[in-house]
Amino acid sequence: MSDWSKVTRPIPVPNEWTKPFWDAAKRGVLALQRCQSCGHFQHPPYATCVECISTDLKFEAVRGAGTIYAYTIMYHTGDKRFASAVPYASIIVELDDAPGALLAGNLLEAPHTEAKVGRRVEVIFEKLNDDITLPQFRFARIASAE
Amino acid sequence: MWENRCKVAVSGVGFSKVTRSADIPLAAHALTAVKEAVADSGLQLADIDGLATYPELPATGHTEVDGISIVSVNCMMTMLKLPDLGWHIQVGTVNIGGAMQQAVNALIAGVCKYAVVWRAMHNPRGTYQNLPGAYAQGAAQFTAPYGFGGPGQGMAVAYTRWLERHNQDREKMATLAVTQRRHTQHNPHAYFYGTPLSREDYLNSRMVAYPFCLFDCDIPVQGAVAIVLTTADRARDLKPRPAYLAGYGQRLHFEVAGRIGSLSNYMEGGSSSAKLTWERSGFSPKDVDVAQIYDGFSASVIYGLESYGFCKEGEALDFIQDGRIELNGELPLNTFGGSLGTGRIHGLWHIIEGALQVSDRAGSRQVKDANVSFVGASAPIVTGTTFIFVRDPY
Ligand SMILES: [Zn+2]
Repeated sequence: MSDWSKVTRPIPVPNEWTKPFWDAAKRGVLALQRCQSCGHFQHPPYATCVECISTDLKFEAVRGAGTIYAYTIMYHTGDKRFASAVPYASIIVELDDAPGALLAGNLLEAPHTEAKVGRRVEVIFEKLNDDITLPQFRFARIASAE
Repeated sequence: MWENRCKVAVSGVGFSKVTRSADIPLAAHALTAVKEAVADSGLQLADIDGLATYPELPATGHTEVDGISIVSVNCMMTMLKLPDLGWHIQVGTVNIGGAMQQAVNALIAGVCKYAVVWRAMHNPRGTYQNLPGAYAQGAAQFTAPYGFGGPGQGMAVAYTRWLERHNQDREKMATLAVTQRRHTQHNPHAYFYGTPLSREDYLNSRMVAYPFCLFDCDIPVQGAVAIVLTTADRARDLKPRPAYLAGYGQRLHFEVAGRIGSLSNYMEGGSSSAKLTWERSGFSPKDVDVAQIYDGFSASVIYGLESYGFCKEGEALDFIQDGRIELNGELPLNTFGGSLGTGRIHGLWHIIEGALQVSDRAGSRQVKDANVSFVGASAPIVTGTTFIFVRDPY
C-alpha cells in the first residue's frame, strides 16, 4: 500500500469558477457544478454548460458513490514530493449522480494493484490545511451493485 | 473536394543533429535544419520569404528562453535577415501541423513564394515534467494534488480505459515499439539509429506510468527539423520531386481543460480532423499506401488508427500485428521510426516522412508504390492535425 504520510501535495488555489467546490469540500460535502437549464452535472467547472451552453450554473451536493472510470499507476519518481508513495494509483472517478463528470483522486486504503476500471469507490476527505480539504476515494464500504 | 488540392507542395527537408543533452543553444539546431532544407530544395536563403513555427516547449516547470529552450519566429527572423521576407506566423494552438497549414494558406493567398516551417525541441536539464510548485492553479488544481503531472499520465489514464473497456492487452504494443525501432535503423538522423530493440526489451522495461513502460514514451532530445513549402508550379522547378498536399484538417473538438481520462477527447478530436482531410482530398483510409501517425506516447497511435478510420474502435492493437505495419506490409506505419525512434521532435518529422515517401526520397525505408501518404501530425487530443500527400497531382 502506498505510504502517503511523507507526500507534500500541491495545494489547490480556488478561483472564480472553482471556489464553491472547495468551500463544500471543506465542509465534507462533494458539490459539483450543475446546469439549471438542463440539469447536467459537470466537472471540472466551466463558464458554460457543456451540454446546452447555458450560463445558469450552480453547485449542488452529490453523493460520493461512483466507479473507477480510468486510472494510472505512477512508478516514475521525477517529482520528489511524491516519490515516497510510488507506486501509487491515480484514478478518475465517474459519480453515480453525475454521469460524464470526471473527478481525479488517489485510490487510498488499498493496494495500487487493486485499481481496475469499473470498481466501486466512495469519496473520503483529506484535510490539507485550514483552507483546503481534498476529496479522495477508497473502495466502497457499503456493498452495492458492481 | 478541395479546390486547392495539390496547389502546394513540400520541397526540401532538413535535419539538425539529434542529441540527448543540450550542449549548444537550440537556435543553432534550428538554423542547421533550416539551412539544410533550403539547400535540399536547391534554393538560397535569400529566396525564403515566409516563416512559420510552433515554438512551445512541452516540458512543464521550466523557463522558456528564446534561442535556448525555444526558437520563435522572432529568433529565426533575427538570425536569417531575409531580404524579401513577406509573411510569418507563430501559432499557439494545433501544434506544428497548424503552423504548416498556415504556411499552406499563405502560399495559396500569394503572400509568399517559399515558406520555411521548422520545429525545434529542447531537452531541459532535470525532470522533464514537473508538478507545479507548492500551489496548483487553474485546471491543475483538480489533478496535480493527486500526483498527475505531465501529459503522460493524462494519456495513461485514457489508455487504461481503452485497454480494459476493450478487454485488450498492453503487451501487444510491443509490436509497435519493435517495428518502429526496426524502421529507425533506416533513418540515420534518428536518435535511436544504431540501437535495436527486441520484444523482450519492451516487455521487461521499467514502468513509468502504467500502462506506459519506458519504450511507450519518446525520449526527450535536443534537435530540429525543417521543410520548404512552395506552390506546386514553383516546386516543379526545384531539385527534389515535389510532394503534393492533397488535403488537410484540424481537430474541431475540445473538452474542458483538466477533464482527463476521457477517450472521446481523443476519438472525436481525431475523427473531426480526419473527416476534413478525407473530404478535401477525396481519399479514404483504404486508399492510403503509407501512414505516419504521431507517437509521442505509443497510445496516440491507437487513437489515431481508430479515430482516423483505419480500423474500428478497440481493434488497433490487433490491427498492428502480423506484419501489417512493416515497410512491405498493408499499411507501413511510422516508416522513419516515429518519435519513439527519432526522439521527441513532435510532428513535423511525421510530415517530412509523409512527403519523402511520395517523392521516392525515403532511401532504404522507401515504401514501394507509395502514391497516397497520410500523416497524423500530433495526438488527436488538443492539438490534432492531419494531412494527405500524393505523388501525382489530380
Ligand atoms: Zn445545460
